[in-house]
Amino acid sequence: MTDKKYLETHEWYSINENSITVGISDFAQGELGDIVFVTLPNVGDKYNKGDSMIEIEATKTVAEAYAPMDCIITDINSQLDNEPEIINSDPCGSGWIVKAEIINLDDAGMSYQEYESFIS
Amino acid sequence: MTDLLKTSLYKYHKEQNSKLIKFAGWQVPFSYEGTIKEHNYVRTKAGFFDVSHMGRIHIENDQINKVNNLICSDLANLEDSKALYSIFTNKEGNAIDDVIFWKFEKYIILICNAINREKILIHLTNHDIEHKDITFQTSLIAIQGPEAISILKNILEIPDKFYTNFNDKFTYARTGYTGEDGLEIMYNNSETENFIQFLKENNIKPCGLGSRDTLRLEASLPLYGFELSESITPVEANLKWTISNKSNYLGKNIINKQIESGDHKYLKRFVVNSKRIPRTGTKVKSNNINGQVTSGNFSPILNKSIGFVLFDTAPETDLIEFDIRGKLLEGKIISKRFLS
Repeated sequence: MTDKKYLETHEWYSINENSITVGISDFAQGELGDIVFVTLPNVGDKYNKGDSMIEIEATKTVAEAYAPMDCIITDINSQLDNEPEIINSDPCGSGWIVKAEIINLDDAGMSYQEYESFIS
Repeated sequence: MTDLLKTSLYKYHKEQNSKLIKFAGWQVPFSYEGTIKEHNYVRTKAGFFDVSHMGRIHIENDQINKVNNLICSDLANLEDSKALYSIFTNKEGNAIDDVIFWKFEKYIILICNAINREKILIHLTNHDIEHKDITFQTSLIAIQGPEAISILKNILEIPDKFYTNFNDKFTYARTGYTGEDGLEIMYNNSETENFIQFLKENNIKPCGLGSRDTLRLEASLPLYGFELSESITPVEANLKWTISNKSNYLGKNIINKQIESGDHKYLKRFVVNSKRIPRTGTKVKSNNINGQVTSGNFSPILNKSIGFVLFDTAPETDLIEFDIRGKLLEGKIISKRFLS
């Protein structure tokens, strides 16, 4: 699996062969506050790069997470149905949100260092 | 955020790594350990809020009749040492601000929303009401929760609910904005260090504006800028209970007409059996009556979404439908408060 890359819209993704795992950054979860509900896509849903895939309800606001590249959903983190707060406690680990098959590889995300300077 | 106003507890907030936000020209803590955690401290134990950004205005009691002409409640005949929630209305009967008065033998303390402080100061001046803005020399701390009073009674003589008291250091009232028992305490900024020490020693946790908002919503309390504004009257905002002023206050005729006719906007409480949250501005329908969500959030105690919706006229049914970014979500108007 490759290192995580980050988008300006605060998602992270990591590539494993022909598949990506997507979540939101630690910075993003901190900005959102307590996450209470996540609207997940269905397995088989197809997205173009930049499409809204996920809706995250938090006490402070609602936010969307976007597809980092063209992809088809292959797995969703069903633990989020009952414990959406794991995105707050472990956004880059057990708080991953979806896995998807890559249709068009577009590995243009920022490295962690680049993302850190982007948010600072 | 260098130009923002800071409360006397600013250093403490920084030390606690609170998430600071800009609010009404002030830099204030949004949260410390997380909104839901702080919400639960207040519901189960005790938490404190630095609400020093709110306006505090000292007015001598010889001005009280003039103040009474600007609000919908009867302040002039209020018993000394009582606290009063009321609304400054304009000549259209709409809300200029919702405020708390603490009445003492010789003076009143008017506590107004931070966002409306300058507006209220001008309003008082325009109506020849002598006043002194004491916002910057004092602090205001709200200590709320089922354990608040038992902790505070070690240092303060506790008044009955909705009564005030004072000693050489503290002026306070048994009031709040969370639905829990507690005190709101004003003191001179020079007391801040000692007071923080007291809060720490008694393990009263700091809570931010995030939980203050979820708590007030769960307690069915309105927030100026959301439920209240200069385009809504106290009648429309479901605050008819505050209207007790017999004198000719601003907007009285319009307010009385609305009470008689029932022909006005209606603010209602709603619940949704989901954690999807209809937020401020979400469009609502009750059959053919249109409305808009004024506040909506997740209730940690009820474990569902709750809020207020403002309808153009009286809704025809309790069943309502929200349009959340193109998706429809069903909800229900409830007449009881969210928490029993």
